[in-house]
Amino acid sequence: MKLSKEGASPFFTRIGLARGGVFIVALIVMPQLFPQHWIWNMMFFTVLYAAMSVSWNLIGGFAGYPSLGHAAFFGIGAYAMAAIFKSTHLLTNGWQPFFIMPLIGLGCAILALPIGLIAMRTRADVFAIVTITLLFVAQTLGYNLKSLTGGAQGAGLSRAPFRLDIFEQPFYFAAVSLLLLAMGIAYFITRTKLGMALTSIRADEDKARGVGVRTTAVKVMAFAVSVGITGMAGGIWAYYLGFIYPQFAFDPLITIAIVLMTFLGGRATVWGPVLGAAILMPAQQLLAYYVGGSQIYLIAYASIFLLIMLLLPRGILPTVLSKRRLASLAKQGNMSGISSTPAITGGSNS
Amino acid sequence: MHTLIQGVILGVLTGGVYALMASGQTLIFGVMKVVNLAQGAFVIASAYLAFTLFTQFGIDPLVAVLITTPLMFGIGVVGHWLFLRPLRREDATELSILITFALALLVEGILSITYHTTYRSINTSYANKAFDIGGFSVSAVRLYGFIVSCALLVLLYVILQKTRFGRAIRATVQNPQSATLLGVDSNRVKAYGFGLGIATAAASGSIYGLLFPFNSGSHYDLISRLLSVVVLGGLGSIGGAVLAGVIIGVVSSVAAVTWSPTWSEMTFFVVLLLVLLIRPQGMFGRVERGAL
Amino acid sequence: MNNNRLSKRWFKRAPLVAVVGAALVVLSACSASTPKATPTASTKALVIGISLSLTGDFADPGTAVKKGYELWADTVNAKGGVLGRQVVLKIVDDLSSPTQVVTNYQNLITRDKVDLVFGPFSSLLTVPASQVADRYKYAFIESAGGGPKVFAQKLGNLFFIQPGPIVKQGDVFADYILALPAAQRPKTAAYPSLDDPFAQPIAANIQARFEAAGIKTVYSGTYPAETPDLTPIMTKAIASKPDVIVSGTQSLDAYQQVKALIQLHYNPKWLYMSNGANSPVEFPSKVGAANTEGVFSSGDWFPSSTATGSADFIKAYIAKYGGDATGIDNSSVEAYAAGQVLELVAAKTGKVDNATIISTLHSGTWATLLGNLSWDAIGEPQGSYLLVQWQKGKLVPVYPAAIAQSAPEAPKPNWAG
Repeated sequence: MKLSKEGASPFFTRIGLARGGVFIVALIVMPQLFPQHWIWNMMFFTVLYAAMSVSWNLIGGFAGYPSLGHAAFFGIGAYAMAAIFKSTHLLTNGWQPFFIMPLIGLGCAILALPIGLIAMRTRADVFAIVTITLLFVAQTLGYNLKSLTGGAQGAGLSRAPFRLDIFEQPFYFAAVSLLLLAMGIAYFITRTKLGMALTSIRADEDKARGVGVRTTAVKVMAFAVSVGITGMAGGIWAYYLGFIYPQFAFDPLITIAIVLMTFLGGRATVWGPVLGAAILMPAQQLLAYYVGGSQIYLIAYASIFLLIMLLLPRGILPTVLSKRRLASLAKQGNMSGISSTPAITGGSNS
Repeated sequence: MHTLIQGVILGVLTGGVYALMASGQTLIFGVMKVVNLAQGAFVIASAYLAFTLFTQFGIDPLVAVLITTPLMFGIGVVGHWLFLRPLRREDATELSILITFALALLVEGILSITYHTTYRSINTSYANKAFDIGGFSVSAVRLYGFIVSCALLVLLYVILQKTRFGRAIRATVQNPQSATLLGVDSNRVKAYGFGLGIATAAASGSIYGLLFPFNSGSHYDLISRLLSVVVLGGLGSIGGAVLAGVIIGVVSSVAAVTWSPTWSEMTFFVVLLLVLLIRPQGMFGRVERGAL
Repeated sequence: MNNNRLSKRWFKRAPLVAVVGAALVVLSACSASTPKATPTASTKALVIGISLSLTGDFADPGTAVKKGYELWADTVNAKGGVLGRQVVLKIVDDLSSPTQVVTNYQNLITRDKVDLVFGPFSSLLTVPASQVADRYKYAFIESAGGGPKVFAQKLGNLFFIQPGPIVKQGDVFADYILALPAAQRPKTAAYPSLDDPFAQPIAANIQARFEAAGIKTVYSGTYPAETPDLTPIMTKAIASKPDVIVSGTQSLDAYQQVKALIQLHYNPKWLYMSNGANSPVEFPSKVGAANTEGVFSSGDWFPSSTATGSADFIKAYIAKYGGDATGIDNSSVEAYAAGQVLELVAAKTGKVDNATIISTLHSGTWATLLGNLSWDAIGEPQGSYLLVQWQKGKLVPVYPAAIAQSAPEAPKPNWAG
């Protein structure tokens, strides 16, 4: 593990700043470059899912606790938004939901604390069980707390009063800010002791505790931050759609989509989930639009998932990076480096 | 009171089937430390298989168990070889959960293409028959299903206790390292253990298909119940899974008749949450090194 | 050494790659060989965009809707099209997902710039989709979403192609019961319903009318969609021996309710099931033909219907898809009727643009397969459904008297078992 070395490097590297700057500018300029509603619509969903992927990565990637229940918080966020804005009197110029969003995120994070404390007392497999069960509990509650959620009849939000010609943009930029927030946290994690603590939990939790890492605090906090962002994404999604039902707000496929994006791009990296989302979301939407109806959707999805996990368990980014690193090491003649572990994931592939 | 007792009877009979499904699930965990999220999908796959055997060849689902069980055992062994064995040990736990989830989706996808998404049910000649026992109505399919489930659980017990293969499995469950030292081929035991777990899914699938209508998406519902059952019983404990299956069957059935059917679904999860709070290792689970 | 270990792992995974890879190749080959549903557009063509659930939970009814639309397109094109323009359907899949349905209507309207859109199936996707259409001032003719929340949006561009809003589907049963002489009416009623926007409101609506007329409610409850076992619920529903059971059912749960009643040896004097029992093929096959006798249901179209164009529709349907009239899904009929409405607008106004459709359909009555349809300002249809009953193995319209082909049979004969 080379993490100690990375931790000692300056917080902002020049290349990191440049990369981030280009990315932010690109996100802002994109809608102006492609002024079509259907592209904006797709960009909105892609960025929204990227934000969720990056946030899942905080707990599922860095800490190695695979949450299967993020969709529960997505749904909670969606329903919170629906409950607040079901009538128009709170929604005047259309921007209020975006200001309420941080509160929803905070609420989800607070809700996650006791759940995390219970579910993370044990190891990753029980955590997975609890989180997937949590998803079904949340869905059942969505159906049964009728006065709050409208039950199976669904819940409507008042419609966003934005002008037709820019209708998607407020949603898009809300999703962009969520993504940048999530990436900022992920970047912070890779650059500080906190990141080392999380990675050490993933590598060997008992040992980490043994050397003085406050494992419980660290992992519960990571979980809370992670689902907080997911809850906010749910809120934006509900506002954009205008009407939600329990089976769609608490959908296991949402979890699966963000997990898959993370695995495809690369776990425990800042950019991996973004890459994964940028590939999968447009691919999925366009495939359904153009070749949908051939019924292979679910099978294709599952097959890709299996292939990625078996052949590319570390994802695209770490694989490419370690290849490059190997090549550069070989050029330096430092052959001894080859058998050592590539740094990015802190995991061990050889 | 009458309704309550009726609910208990119903719960015990249904719980027996859950017990069978969950015993396979918990066996797989015991042998491989893999939480098999595809167990529900395999149950539904077997229910479809029984459906085909019944509608095409007129084979009774309870007899079809003899065909589906070995078949699914084979599928389990191959599935293990293809998807689980290649995993590296370091992240096997994490990846195996996701892989079995993906497998569940794969099975669901294949089933929805083959059989479409309309609900199917297996209508045998005795589908609507019911016995009147002491003023309580006991449906024939439920009773038969319960009896077959019990018989299969006994068979599973015998296999695990009396055969060489069973001893190898139990040794692996208790201590994988020493089992290997004693000459147990751990890869083979894992493959067969996984196969055996899937085989119980096959057997319970036939019965499930007889009792309830199902479609390719039914496995989501099933897996959430199964997980509650195995956690309550203690991951890895077959006896615990059986008892937990019956308990949860009764509790949810009684909740449905006395309280509200909508909230009876929640009983599963409430039980699960309580278990995790009070006794995270479940009723019969052992506290393992650094885990559970 | 690294290479060695790497290649060994690759070797171990080789069979997997082969299997999954082969599966993908086969599948993509299958999908490639599927005939394209949409012929290439010509300049004059009238392109209608539709998003349907062809995969996912609603795949089967979604496919039935597709059949209805395609049959209509074929029929109208054989007659020379709408105002001389050949109809081209652009049907896309929404995976039964609201995210995808929004994307699909966005793409249809702003990317492919289709001339018109029809509504999606499933009905749960109607609201988000109708909002997109409304934003771009497209008329939204839809045959699937008729729940209260759809109309609560008060959209001016939406038209629901069924005789009445879904909640009114049971009105016709309430009409029939309340028209009985007081002495013959049921005294007690149970209302077990599926927790679903298109099932429970029907029972609730009947319940309100029954209670107002003094029929005592002895049970009223909902169960979730995924309940595998309805026996506990029915045990509770029949505990006080209700005279009439009014079930807000969808499909599967109707069969389960009947099964549970048979197993519990309880036979009510009247049994009304909102949906499921009105399926001419599925219902007898799921509960046994002998057990159907006397069960009431309601709906908008039946093979014996005498509504405008019914006979021609059945003939064309069988010619295109085979089978017989009892195998026709109502969703196909409703989709076809959506097309008919469009034709009628074109014939009346000589135009088929969205503004014309929206302004025209709010007044007048329109004769379709589903009878005479008319809409108020928010697209709620103003007609009523038909009451049907299973008699001697057939679904027969029994109320209102004007369309009845037989008198209602009551009390219900005992289950055959």
